[in-house]
Amino acid sequence: MGATAMTGTEANGKSKRFAGVGRLAWGMVLLGLAGFVAALLLGEPQIAWRAYLVNFLLFSAIAQGGLAVSAMASTVHVYRSSFPQLAEAFSAFFPVSLLLFLGLIPGAEYIFPWLGQDFAGGKDLWLSLPFLFTRDVVAFVLLYALGLMYLYYSLWLRVGQSAPQTGLRTWLAGIWSRRSPNPETYANRRFVLGILYLIAFAAVLSLVGYDLVMAAEPHWYSTLFGAYTFIKAVFVGIGALIILAAALHINRSVRMEIASWEYIDAGKLLLAFCLLWADFFYCQLVVIWYGNIPEETAYVITRTVQAPWNVMAGTVFVLGFVVPFLVLLNRRVKTLPAMMTGLCCAIVAGMWLEHYLLLAPALGGAESTVLPLSWADPVISLAFLGIMIRVVLGYLNQFPETLEPVAGSRLHGAGGN
Amino acid sequence: MANNTVTLTALFQEDVRAAQAVRDITSPSWRVERVCGPVPSEAIHQALRGKKTPVGWFTLIGGLLGLVTGYGFASFTSLRWELIVSGKPVVALVPFLIVGFELAVLFAVLGTVIGLILHTRLPAYGDEEDNPVECTADRFGLVVQCPAAELGELQAFLEERGAWVRRQ
Repeated sequence: MGATAMTGTEANGKSKRFAGVGRLAWGMVLLGLAGFVAALLLGEPQIAWRAYLVNFLLFSAIAQGGLAVSAMASTVHVYRSSFPQLAEAFSAFFPVSLLLFLGLIPGAEYIFPWLGQDFAGGKDLWLSLPFLFTRDVVAFVLLYALGLMYLYYSLWLRVGQSAPQTGLRTWLAGIWSRRSPNPETYANRRFVLGILYLIAFAAVLSLVGYDLVMAAEPHWYSTLFGAYTFIKAVFVGIGALIILAAALHINRSVRMEIASWEYIDAGKLLLAFCLLWADFFYCQLVVIWYGNIPEETAYVITRTVQAPWNVMAGTVFVLGFVVPFLVLLNRRVKTLPAMMTGLCCAIVAGMWLEHYLLLAPALGGAESTVLPLSWADPVISLAFLGIMIRVVLGYLNQFPETLEPVAGSRLHGAGGN
Repeated sequence: MANNTVTLTALFQEDVRAAQAVRDITSPSWRVERVCGPVPSEAIHQALRGKKTPVGWFTLIGGLLGLVTGYGFASFTSLRWELIVSGKPVVALVPFLIVGFELAVLFAVLGTVIGLILHTRLPAYGDEEDNPVECTADRFGLVVQCPAAELGELQAFLEERGAWVRRQ
């Protein structure tokens, strides 16, 4: 079993490194929760639930896309970078994501504008609340189960048993000691589960894109919307992964070793998915534009041409495509953690705005003459960000080996392109 | 002086080892004449402290030129006829992006090829170097010159770093 032995003192010391950030994260969660409750009590439930939905979609996409990066890398047997193992930390958000999805039920009347409408041609069967929640819960459970099974085998291949057995590690260590795993068998299972996760990722995120985003305008559709959703998840997942890696690399108490070539590879992947995301957006746009069918164009015109949404659309385009494309053409920029952190923060912010742009006109914002951004949007976003930070730190505390260089990796510019 | 110097060829299986050998050569009497290999190696390029290639600028300029040419070409031909199709503007930016993108890729590729040819000063008739034949296959070669008296030391130095050494 590939593992770096760690003494109890070392592991305890490493877990204390994140104590300050952990407390800050809890503060963000409490503040966001207070903001959500305040918005409900102040008679703005539409704003509160809209912000909840936008943030649920974004942060779940980060978690799902992050693990997808690890699964993709696991299909390349000799890719020895720290990024895939670090990406697995985002899977700690999976159980939270499932609970947050169930938390949408009380706010259904504010986030599903099709409730109470009559539809023809079988759409009323598809757009029914019990069926929607049932199929989406089943989909999330399937996706997260595959992801956590993949993680189970991946952890066994990496984690040592000399670290203190606390919490989740004790439970895992108990299972592993009863099973006497074989490295080759577990590596093969991880490979297969990685592929199954990616297939489920594409299918489930397509379904979620159709149900939670596209259905907000129930009379509009785009067949590429599902693919657009999961490509966006990989894009934002890679961005968040780079932010996490750079933060751990820069942080003086952690100083995670990451070589320039790893940043360059991650930057190239980010550029590729930036182009792919923009391309999938354009594919939908050009077909709708050329067909000029009112049933299809209304959605696009509202969000890209009409005020006030055209300003937000331009901002999304700049943050999500123009800036990343121009910056990531340069090789040296990819090796600067601080620059990449700033760029990826802009990308994640752009994707937040993109989710908002897709949903808000349908969720009470259609008649607005000014952008209906409210104080509740950033405050509630803080809660989700705090939860993400907290669970990722929890994972890193449980499995501090994640911060160790990959065995046999080529560091310090000795390899890679 | 040339009469007192010998040239050794060291063949490495991995580019990183060749690059490390280049970095480890600090003796002023040992001169790295050239390094060759079957594929470009970033590690060797960095070890030699080579200047960044300007070919990328040819690619960028080609791409930008192609984008402008694509839009210009599509707009020009549309304005020659001024046909209104499906109520769309004669010069339509949305679909013309496809033409612009394709020509951007084409001109970027052509720019890269032109840049490569110019930068490597091809065709180089009568300027052939005697590179080890293994460097066109699966080895990275380091050609080093040293005084004849230091031949043994250089050979041992290179073999320590995983090279198979022969005298030229």
